[in-house]
Amino acid sequence: MTDQERLDSLKGALGGDILEITNPARRRFFITVDRAKIAAVLTTLRDRLGITYVAMISGVDEGDAFEILYHLAEPALGNVNVRIKISKGDPHVASVTPVLPGAIYYERELQDMFGLVVDGIPDPRPLITSDDWPAGNYPLRKDWKFERPAEIIPGGKK
Amino acid sequence: MKFNIPIGPQHPALKEPISLRMTVEGEVIRDADLRLGYNHRGMEKLAEEKNWTQNIYLTERICGICSHSHATCYVQGVEKLMEIEPPKRGLYIRYLVSELERIHSHLLWLGVAGHEAGFDSFFMYTWRDREVVMDLLEMISGNRVHYAMNTLGGVRRDLDEALIKKILDGLVVLKQRSEYYFKIGASEPTFVGRLAGVGYLSKEKAIALCAVGPTARASGITADVRRDDPHAVYDEVPFDVCTADSCDVLGRTVVRIKELMESYKICEFLLRNLPAGDIAVKAPKKAKPNEVVSRYEAPRGENMHYIKSNGTERPERLKVRAPTLANYPATIEMLKNGFIADIPLIFAAIDPCICCAERTVELVNARSGEETVVRFGDLRKLAGERFAKSPVKRNAVWPF
Repeated sequence: MTDQERLDSLKGALGGDILEITNPARRRFFITVDRAKIAAVLTTLRDRLGITYVAMISGVDEGDAFEILYHLAEPALGNVNVRIKISKGDPHVASVTPVLPGAIYYERELQDMFGLVVDGIPDPRPLITSDDWPAGNYPLRKDWKFERPAEIIPGGKK
Repeated sequence: MKFNIPIGPQHPALKEPISLRMTVEGEVIRDADLRLGYNHRGMEKLAEEKNWTQNIYLTERICGICSHSHATCYVQGVEKLMEIEPPKRGLYIRYLVSELERIHSHLLWLGVAGHEAGFDSFFMYTWRDREVVMDLLEMISGNRVHYAMNTLGGVRRDLDEALIKKILDGLVVLKQRSEYYFKIGASEPTFVGRLAGVGYLSKEKAIALCAVGPTARASGITADVRRDDPHAVYDEVPFDVCTADSCDVLGRTVVRIKELMESYKICEFLLRNLPAGDIAVKAPKKAKPNEVVSRYEAPRGENMHYIKSNGTERPERLKVRAPTLANYPATIEMLKNGFIADIPLIFAAIDPCICCAERTVELVNARSGEETVVRFGDLRKLAGERFAKSPVKRNAVWPF
């Protein structure tokens, strides 16, 4: 299959849901879709093109918005990346675990690292951050800076 | 009556400190729950503070067994961002080290599998032979663990004729030994009987839970990034994707031994067809704003990096997905309806790094709430006793 054929099959399957589609390298596709349609788009990709493998979900902090990329892969199609944008004022995204059950750890990671709220996630507990992690601290946001707390040595000099 | 067994977070049977909580009924595991983050080093955040070159050495330290995998995955992505093309010779050497690393990782894993199955002489043999490939890696790179072979635009060390000859000689030894292991497995009914049927993961579940690497291939999925999405040299190299359809630990063992054979073939091909020329080109300091998804088949499965650049000498975002994380949902599935005595074996089947001597599991008695600490060695003894009493599995045969 050539990249053009892959591009056509992706366009054919998703139709009007695609806001933007690019093919920057061989077997690499970046598709931008509306945030409300993410579960529907992944369902279509799974049912019509047989994409069942989600490799990871990565988030990027872009200042006023978050960019979420669902990195999917299929042997014949190559690597398909579905992108959505989420404003920081309303950081909600629908869970894709009903479509791709393997996405659960990546969604929990998104919640921990970016403070996104994944609606309908079957298991919302923190995955990476510790139990005593202070609320409202989301390490991968660009404005988050780590400050090492002052070391207090018991019995040491004041 | 259900019991809860916490395993970890500090548990040497797991490569990283993770915490597993098992709900058991008698000896049967009914449910397992996972908690990560005990060893979270904040590398993705740190990568945003470091420049492109410094990050090679940072990514190399993500893992201690497949250190070359992460560095290669990162480097091949950044080379695309910088729009530089490494010379052929450099690429051949880079992926030669990749395959040698796969050999050492799989030999290590075989030993661990033998050890957990109670076949300790197998463990000692494989680990002795692993020294052959470790020595080869040391001769090539000067290091045994973090090879530091990669640089942006190629590799840092060249091979000469004498070294090529030494590597080829080493491969002959390794090949003979691996064939011997394949035979040993076949003629040792207790070993086959111990592995067969343990840690069952059906093909449907493996697909749904996005399992990767030998774990997925042992469930009959022919997924291998080297073939599906050939990066760099892999579209020139002849090799087969090894699969098994027994969906258990035996299948995972067979897949890994077969992959060893394929890796020897690939190494030989790369050495015999090593092109002449430079090993590296000069890389620029900065990368234009762009994004790239880099895929790489590490010994344990697909490794994926998402790298975004913003025009400066630092990445805007580096997202790393190691294959072990992708295999966790599948591990939970494998543990379900298995036996407590199989826990070490199932763990070992996905995760090949056991480097510490002391292993303890805490058994919590749900009735009294009393906790008893059981050494992993005792747990293995328990496993041995259980299997000594159980009937012989007549249908378990080594699949040639």
